[in-house]
Amino acid sequence: MSGVKTDSPNATAGRLEGLLVEFDSPTALVAAAEQIRDAGYRRWDTHTPFPVHGIDEAMGIRPTRLPFIVFLLGFIGCIGGLVLQWWTNATGASDFPGLPTFLQGYNYLISGKPEFSLPANIPVIFETTVLLAAFAAVFGMLAMNNLPKHHTALFASERFRRVTTDRFFVYVDAADAKFDEGQTTSFLGGLGGSQPEAIHDIASSPSALPGGLKVSTLILISLLFIPPLVIARARVAKSNEPRIHIIQDMDNQERFKAQQAASAFFADGRASRPQPEGTVARGDLRFDTHYYEGKIGGEYATTYPEQVTINEQFIRRGQERFNVYCAPCHGLGGAGNGTVNATALRLETAGWIAPTSLHDQLARSRPLGHIYNSISNGIRSMPPYGDQISPTDRWAIVSYIRALQFSQQADLDDVPPEVRPELR
Amino acid sequence: MASVPNEIDNTWNRPGERAPLITGGHDFTSLTDVACGPAETYRPPRAWYIAFTISVVLLAILGASIGYLIINGVGVWGVNNPTGWGFAIINFVFWVGIGHAGTLISAILFLFRQKWRTSINRFAEAMTIFAVMCAGIFPGIHVGRIWVTYWMGPLPNQMAMWPNFRSPLLWDVFAVGTYATVSLLFWYVGMIPDLATFRDRSKNKIRRFIYGLFAMGWTGSSRHWHRFERAYLILAALATPLVLSVHSVVSFDFAVSQLPGWHTTIFPPYFVAGAIFGGFAMVVTLALPAREMFGLKNIITLRHLENCCKIILLTGTIVGYAYLMEFFISWYGGNQYESFIFRARALGPYAWAYWTMITCNVLAPQLFWFKWCRTNLWVMFIVVMMVNVGMWFERFVIVVTSLSQDFLPSSWHYYVPTAIDWLTLAGSFGLFFTMFLLFCRFLPMVAMAEVKTVMPHADAHAHVPASRSFDYNPDDFEPEQEQK
Amino acid sequence: MCRRKCDPNCVRNKQETQQPNNMTAHTPDKQAVTAESQPLSNGAASVSRIALVIGAIGLIVGVVFGFRDGWEVFFRSYLLNYSYVLSIALGALFFVMLQHLTRAGWSVGIRRLAEFIAGTIPVLGVFFIPLLIPIFQGMAGVYEWSNAEIVAEDELLQHKASYLNAPFFVARCAVYFIIWSLLARYFLRKSLAQDATGDPKLTLDMMWWSAPGMLLYALTVTFFAVDALMSLNPHWFSTIWGVYYFSGALVGFFSLLAIVMHVVRNSQRMGQLLTREHFHDVGKLAFGFVVFWAYIAFSQYMLIWYANIPEETVWFQPRQADNWWIGVSLLLLFGHFVAPFLALVSRYPKRRSGLLVIAAGWLLLMHWLDLYYIVIPSGHAVAEHAAPLHVSDIALFVGLGGVFVAAFTRPMARHALAPQRDPWLHESLTFENV
Repeated sequence: MSGVKTDSPNATAGRLEGLLVEFDSPTALVAAAEQIRDAGYRRWDTHTPFPVHGIDEAMGIRPTRLPFIVFLLGFIGCIGGLVLQWWTNATGASDFPGLPTFLQGYNYLISGKPEFSLPANIPVIFETTVLLAAFAAVFGMLAMNNLPKHHTALFASERFRRVTTDRFFVYVDAADAKFDEGQTTSFLGGLGGSQPEAIHDIASSPSALPGGLKVSTLILISLLFIPPLVIARARVAKSNEPRIHIIQDMDNQERFKAQQAASAFFADGRASRPQPEGTVARGDLRFDTHYYEGKIGGEYATTYPEQVTINEQFIRRGQERFNVYCAPCHGLGGAGNGTVNATALRLETAGWIAPTSLHDQLARSRPLGHIYNSISNGIRSMPPYGDQISPTDRWAIVSYIRALQFSQQADLDDVPPEVRPELR
Repeated sequence: MASVPNEIDNTWNRPGERAPLITGGHDFTSLTDVACGPAETYRPPRAWYIAFTISVVLLAILGASIGYLIINGVGVWGVNNPTGWGFAIINFVFWVGIGHAGTLISAILFLFRQKWRTSINRFAEAMTIFAVMCAGIFPGIHVGRIWVTYWMGPLPNQMAMWPNFRSPLLWDVFAVGTYATVSLLFWYVGMIPDLATFRDRSKNKIRRFIYGLFAMGWTGSSRHWHRFERAYLILAALATPLVLSVHSVVSFDFAVSQLPGWHTTIFPPYFVAGAIFGGFAMVVTLALPAREMFGLKNIITLRHLENCCKIILLTGTIVGYAYLMEFFISWYGGNQYESFIFRARALGPYAWAYWTMITCNVLAPQLFWFKWCRTNLWVMFIVVMMVNVGMWFERFVIVVTSLSQDFLPSSWHYYVPTAIDWLTLAGSFGLFFTMFLLFCRFLPMVAMAEVKTVMPHADAHAHVPASRSFDYNPDDFEPEQEQK
Repeated sequence: MCRRKCDPNCVRNKQETQQPNNMTAHTPDKQAVTAESQPLSNGAASVSRIALVIGAIGLIVGVVFGFRDGWEVFFRSYLLNYSYVLSIALGALFFVMLQHLTRAGWSVGIRRLAEFIAGTIPVLGVFFIPLLIPIFQGMAGVYEWSNAEIVAEDELLQHKASYLNAPFFVARCAVYFIIWSLLARYFLRKSLAQDATGDPKLTLDMMWWSAPGMLLYALTVTFFAVDALMSLNPHWFSTIWGVYYFSGALVGFFSLLAIVMHVVRNSQRMGQLLTREHFHDVGKLAFGFVVFWAYIAFSQYMLIWYANIPEETVWFQPRQADNWWIGVSLLLLFGHFVAPFLALVSRYPKRRSGLLVIAAGWLLLMHWLDLYYIVIPSGHAVAEHAAPLHVSDIALFVGLGGVFVAAFTRPMARHALAPQRDPWLHESLTFENV
C-alpha cells in the first residue's frame, strides 16, 4: 500500500455506496444474516474467506440454474462432436454439391472401417461434450457472478482486505429499497459485529486500474489486428513473385540432375548405389520357364502352362489384347493385312516387310511356345512385346491366335447347329 | 527431510473420531500466513535456488535437444525398424499419466468427500498442468515437421482434407487437448479465491495489480460462493470421467492395434490405475521436499502422506492385478504370438526392464501394508522414487518389447536409445520442475479457502455432534496399537 | 461436499423438513435410533416366508420345464439367474468392505442392510452345487469344455484342459465360496456383536480385515467370472472380464439397496437413519456404477470391434446375428446406460426415494438383461435350437430371486436394522450432501 492514504476512507468525499459490518466468526455472521434476511433487505451480501456452511439458507439464496446451462452445453457438445465427425469423414463433395471446397467433407475408407464408424467416434464425442460442459460451468459461473471485475467500491475499505483471510462481512447496498442511512446504520450496529462503515464511491481507489493502462491495452490490441489483416489481404491479392517459403521443407535439396556430369552424393560420382550382383526384383525371379518363356527344357512348349485356364472368357481376353497389339499389323483376322501394313504399302515405305499371315502353313505348325516366344521377344522384323503385355495376356493371345487359325480351317460340322442359319 | 521429531503424528485411528487435518493449532489467520509465506517472502530458501538452477539447466538441455532434433530430423533418436515408437511415446504416456493424478486427486476425492484432499489438491493440480505440458511436447516433436502439427486439428482448408477420426492418435489430440483445457480451468477456478487473498495481502501496487487481475475482482461474496461451489462440483463431476477417458484413449493407441502385448481389453482401466499410481507417487515426491522447504508440515501432515501411500498401495496392487490378468489370459487365450510376447517380456532381451518394472510397481508399494513404512518419510521417499522409475519402465516395456519382436522374426531389432533420447527425457524433467518451482514461488500452493473449510472453526452451526450423547465416549478409549 | 459447504438446496431442505414425513436428519438421540432400528420381527419374517414359497414354486416350475425341454436349457437358465443373485450379494460384500476400508461415516446407517444382503452368500453357495451336474455330465450345451468328446477334437480346449477341467473347477469354486462366506459372515458377526457390546475395537478389527479382504475379493470375483461365465464360450477370452462382471454387480447391488431402504422406511423404521442424504448417496453410487459399467462395456466392445480379430469377435457375432439379439444389445445400450444416465444425472430424483426406486427397479431388470445377454447366446449346441427367451429363464428368476429375498430378509426379523452402536453412527445421522 505504498503511498496511499488509507486511514479513513470515510473522509473521502463521494456518493454513499453502502454499509459494511465486520464479524469475526462464521457463527456470528450466519446469525446476523438471518436477521437481515428477516428484516426484508434484498440488495445485500455477505463476504467470507471461504464458503460458509448454512449461509445460503440464512440469506435465502435460491439454487443456481448453472446445472441446466451445463447440461445444455454438454448436449450441444455431444451432438456437435458427432456431426463434426460425420461431416468430415463420412460425407464427400458429391453429397453436398455447391459447398466451398474448404467446407467439403472427405470420405475415404481406412483400416477396413465404415466411413461412419460410431464406436470409433465415441471418444471424440465424449471429449467435445465434456469440453463444452466445462466451459459452460466456468464461464457461466463467472458471467452469473458478474465477473471479472477489477474494481468494486468495497476495495476502498482497508478492513475489507481481510475478507480473504479471516474476517466475515455483511454489506448492505445503498440502492436497496429499504435502505435508510440512519436507520440501517443503527440496525446493522445492533447485529453484534463492528460498527457499520460507510463505503463511498471514490475515484482513486488503490485497486483501480492505472490510468494509462486502458489506453495502452487498446493500442496493443489494435496492433494485434495488423498481422491477420496482412494475411487476409495476401489471400485475395495477386502477385507474380514466388511465394515466400518460411519453412523450406524439401524445396531446396541436393539432387542429381539429368546431364549433370557427376553427383556429389557418392565418391564414385553416382547418385545412387548400383544393385549387388545377382539381385532379383521381388516377383521377377521367373523360375517357371513354361509360363514365362514358353519353353520346357529348352524346347518350345506344346501345351498351355498350368497358370492359365482355357475358356471362353480367356480367349475373349486374348481377342481383346490381340486387337490392341497385334491387329494393327496382322489385321483383325490375322491375315497380315492390318492398317499399318496398308499404310506402309500406300506410302511405299522402303524396305517394308509385310507381316506374316497367321494362317499360312508355317504359322499354323508352330508350337504354342513358339508363338508365345515370338510375342515376347519378337521375330525377324517384328519387335518384342514382352514388356507391354503380361505373361497371362500373352498366353491369352496365343489361345486366340489358335482360335483364329482354327476358324479359317473349319468346316460346317464344327459350327454349332443353332448358329448355322446365321451363316451365309 | 527426515527430521521426524517435529512431525506431529495425526495418523491414529480412533473409531468415532476424526484426526485433525491441520495440526499445530492454526487458526484462519496463522494458516493464511503460513500458506502465503512461500510467495510473500523476500528471499526463498536456498534449496529453492539450487533446485531452480538445476531445473533451468535441464530446461536448456531440453531446448537444445529439441533444436537439434528439428534441424536434423528424427534420425537422431534411437528408433529403428521395427521399433518405430521409442522414447517419444514412452515419455508422452509417462508424463500424461503423471498429469492425471492432480485432477483426479482434486476431482474424485472431492466427489468422495475426502477432506484431506484440500491440503494437497492445489499443487497436485499444478503438477497436472505442468506434466501435461511435458507430455504435449513429445507428440508435437515426434512428427518431424513440427510446423505443421496444426494439421492434427479439424481446420477447414483448401484441400478439403480432414483428420481421420477413426484413428486413436486423433482421439489423443482431442482427449489430451480437452484434458489440458479442463484441468487448467479447474485449477484456475479453484485458485481465484486464493489469488484474491494474495491481492488483498500484497504490500505493493504492482503485486496488487497483477494478482488483482487474475483474481477477477473476487470479494468472497456468498452469492458468488454459491455459484462458485456449484461450478466447482460440476467441474469435478466432469473431470472425473474425463481423467478416465484420457488415459483410456491413450491406452487405445496401443490396444486397438493387433500387436501381441498391446491388444488386450483390460488396457483402459489398467492404464487409468497406472496413471493414478504414478501420479500419486509424483505428488508425494513433490510434497516431501516442498513441505520441508516451505514449512508446510502442519498443513500437509503425516496423515495426508499416509493416505497417499495407501492409495499408492491400492493402485499399485490394481496394476499388479492387470499384469496378472494379462499373463493369465496370454496363456488361457491360447494365442501363440500373445504367449510368446509375454514370455519374452519376462525372459527375453528386455527382461531387465520387465523385472525393474515389477519390482518398482508391484513389489515396492507392498511395503505400504505396514504403517511404519507409510509414516517413515525416508521409506516413503525411496518407494515413491521407485514407483516413478517403475512407471516409466512400464511404458518402456509395453512399447519396446512388443515392437522389437514383431510377427516377422527376421526384422527383430534390439532398441537402443541415443544420447539425444536421454537428454530430451532429462530435459522434460527440467521443464516440469522449473514450472513447479515457479508455481511454488508465485502462486498459492495451498488451497487456503478450501483448507479453511475443513478446520473446526469453520462450522457456523457449531453444534457438537450428537455422538456425545451416545454410549461411546472416545476419550475413554485407549487408542489401540497398530495390529500386526 | 466434504468441505462442509453451504448447501444450495438448503432452502429446499427447509421446505422438506416441514413435510410430515420428515426425511432430513435432526439432532438424533440414542433411544430414538435404537427404537427405530428394531428388527422388523413380523414383517420381515412373513416376507421371508412368502418369498421362500414363491421361490420354491419358481424352482419347481423350472424343474418341470427341465424335464420337458431338456436339462441344458434348465441349467443355462439356472446359471443366468444364479450369477444374477450372486452378483448382487457380491456387490453387497464389496460395499461393506469398502466402508470399513475407507472408514466411512456417512454409510453407517445403511451398512447393516448391505451386511444382510452379503450374508446370503453361504446360502447361495449351497445353490451353486446343482451347477456342478452339467459339468460332471459333460453337457456340451452348458460348458463345452466339460464334454470329453468335444475336447478330444479341439486343440484349443486341450490346451486349456489343465485349467478348464471338472475337478479343478470344483476346487476353485470351493475356494471362492469359502473366502466369500468367511468374509461375509465375519463382517456381519462383528457388526452384530458391536450392537451388543458397543466395543469400538470391533470397528478396528473390521477395518484391519477389510484391506486383505478386498485383495482376496478382487481375485476371487475375477476368476469366478472367468470360470462361470467366460468359459461358457471357452475359445473366447477378454482380460477385462472380471471387471465387467464386477461393474454390473455393483449396479445391481445399489439398485437393490435403494429399494430395500425404501421398503424399510415405509415399514415405519429408521426414519432418522435413512435420510434423503442417504438416498441421494446411494443414487449417486448407482449412477456412478452405471457409468462405470458403460465405460467397461464400451472398452471391451470397442477394442474387439476395432481390432476385428475373428478369435475375439466370435463372442459378439451371435449377439449381432439376428434381430432378437440386436434388439437386446440396443436395449442394453439405451436401457442400461443412456436412460438411467439421463434419469439419474439430476439430483432431484436421487433425493426422492419414490422416484429412485423406479430407476432402481429398472436397473435391476437391466442387470438381469446384461447377464441374459452374457449367458444365453454363449457356447454352441443350445443357442441354436432353443427359443431366445425360455420359460425357465423367468421361472428360475422367480425361484432363485425368491430364495435370495428370503435369505436376506430373514435376519431382518431377528437383528437390528442398523449398527446402533457403531462409533461413527453420528456422522451418518448428521451428514449433508452439497
